[in-house]
Amino acid sequence: MSLLTVSNLTKRYRRGGKVVTAVDDVSFHIEPGETLALAGPSGSGKSTIAGLVLRLIEPDAGRIEFEGDDFLALRGAKLRARRARLQMVFQDPLAAFNPRATVARVLDDPLRIHGIASRAERPRRIAALLERVGLAADLAPRAIHEISGGQRQRVAIARAIATGPSLIVLDEAVSALDVSVRGQILDLLLDLQSQERIAYLFISHDLGVVRALARRVILLDAGRIAESGDARAVIDAPQSAIGRALVAAAPRLKRTTQDAS
Amino acid sequence: MSALASIHDLTVTYRRDGNAVAALRNISLDIVAGERLAVIGESGSGKSTLALAIAGLLPASSAVDGRIEWPGPGQPPLLGRDIGFVFQDPSVSLDPVMTVGKQIAEVARTHLGLTWSQAYAKAKTLLERVRLPDPDSALHAFPHQLSGGQKQRVAIAAAIAAGPKLLIADEATSALDTIVQAEIVALIRRLVAEDGMTLLFISHDIALATELAERIAVFRHGQLVELGTTARIVGAPAQAYTRTLLDAHIGLDAAPLLNRSGLHA
Ligand SMILES: Nc1ncnc2c1ncn2[C@@H]1O[C@H](COP(=O)(O)OP(=O)(O)OP(=O)(O)O)[C@@H](O)[C@H]1O
Ligand SMILES: Nc1ncnc2c1ncn2[C@@H]1O[C@H](COP(=O)(O)OP(=O)(O)OP(=O)(O)O)[C@@H](O)[C@H]1O
Ligand SMILES: [Mg+2]
Ligand SMILES: [Mg+2]
Repeated sequence: MSLLTVSNLTKRYRRGGKVVTAVDDVSFHIEPGETLALAGPSGSGKSTIAGLVLRLIEPDAGRIEFEGDDFLALRGAKLRARRARLQMVFQDPLAAFNPRATVARVLDDPLRIHGIASRAERPRRIAALLERVGLAADLAPRAIHEISGGQRQRVAIARAIATGPSLIVLDEAVSALDVSVRGQILDLLLDLQSQERIAYLFISHDLGVVRALARRVILLDAGRIAESGDARAVIDAPQSAIGRALVAAAPRLKRTTQDAS
Repeated sequence: MSALASIHDLTVTYRRDGNAVAALRNISLDIVAGERLAVIGESGSGKSTLALAIAGLLPASSAVDGRIEWPGPGQPPLLGRDIGFVFQDPSVSLDPVMTVGKQIAEVARTHLGLTWSQAYAKAKTLLERVRLPDPDSALHAFPHQLSGGQKQRVAIAAAIAAGPKLLIADEATSALDTIVQAEIVALIRRLVAEDGMTLLFISHDIALATELAERIAVFRHGQLVELGTTARIVGAPAQAYTRTLLDAHIGLDAAPLLNRSGLHA
């Protein structure tokens, strides 16, 4: 059984008297422990799909099945429990926090809210989470504005895995990071995936990263699925017009001088 | 080759909780009028600090040593009119409670002395220039009604509204898809070629920097590691650090990272 099954999802917005169909009859599924990438041009509906899957946005039509339940119908305690299994990491996810908030505080919240650890137990849990994402435990008392972008993204990942999720939605989660830090964060994501069998819905406009990280990819265009399939097959030989345009426009590093072979 | 700006021995130190953080150390560098100069380097290397120093936007908590000279005739440049600045995060430059059209029109009105209706017409042209779909409806949209990439295009439109001499783009295209990115890059090239604009382009996307810039400056730990033509930096980097940066690039031909996580569906 699939971990997540999205069927005929549709979301429309009204803007200045006009209707924008941000997501138009989209269906897909994610298997446990799998990485599915969503790529597509700006405004194609990627973040709206993320919001719909996370139930931060209400759809106009469609169905979302998560871990066997009709996710859109869940309410109250059942919804809260299921939310712990579905986490998110955004481009600068800690930007929403008071910058004076400490790393410990950011990690304490999910443990407390989801009743995962007692107050006495939490400092130990927080130290273990920091270690799990490759950070020193003594980072806990630091304010989040005092740590680097790469460290902040590791804290965001630690926060996401605190509740033991089966699926993490990553919306441009590595886009703001420089190349060296980005490689380390991708390694961390892969490591967590193989250890804990976490599935990722990985949203990125960086086709190089998508191709290297994901097993399957969906290319969106104007809210619709333009094409989907094996990530390397699709990106190496896109069939849709939008896929071809995205690949053709991708910047390339031409290191010709050393080897012209 | 006249310098638009000459940076001499620039050192910038931030004060943070009683400690001093040296963000830039003894930087000397000329920005040539009409050139496209890219700055690359890892997170925390001082790229944004350099951009803020040039734009006169450093926070009060910073201490500056050295100087930045503007050898050309006339007044020192004014941010908004002579220097356009596009930040990494468009929400920094966009007012959430003002329509997109008004924000751009206001720049044009203030610095070009246009009437409101002329300024709105200009705003619409600018939204077309940055390839925002449906510019008529976008004029009346609020920032939250736009996608991340659409907001960034609005920020770029506002930054170029007054026809600045220098455009500073700090990770301005990182959130854009490759198509729009290529269009923005083409637009920036056109602005530089047609309007005689100078570009300071900060990006962690090395491939993009090499496609856009004529010269590349490599920063590390607040220091200028090397500076040269794009062909030289990419083809024959003098510093091992530059080579490390080039190697870390994940291109369309990179080996897959997966496979380590076994999945069989
Ligand atoms: N709250 C809203 N009100 C009106 N329109 C909206 C709203 N949110 C999104 N949209 C529109 O829906 C479409 C899809 O937006 P979405 O943010 O999902 O795109 P995206 O694929 O994430 O783009 P990007 O790569 O630029 O982040 C866009 O045309 C956008 O303008
Ligand atoms: N307002 C500030 N107060 C204190 N320290 C700061 C401030 N802004 C930047 N720094 C520090 O100065 C150094 C250089 O930061 P800067 O933002 O210039 O780097 P960057 O190269 O732009 O990095 P990134 O690629 O992450 O944007 C870093 O150590 C950073 O933590
Ligand atoms: Mg988005
Ligand atoms: Mg920066």
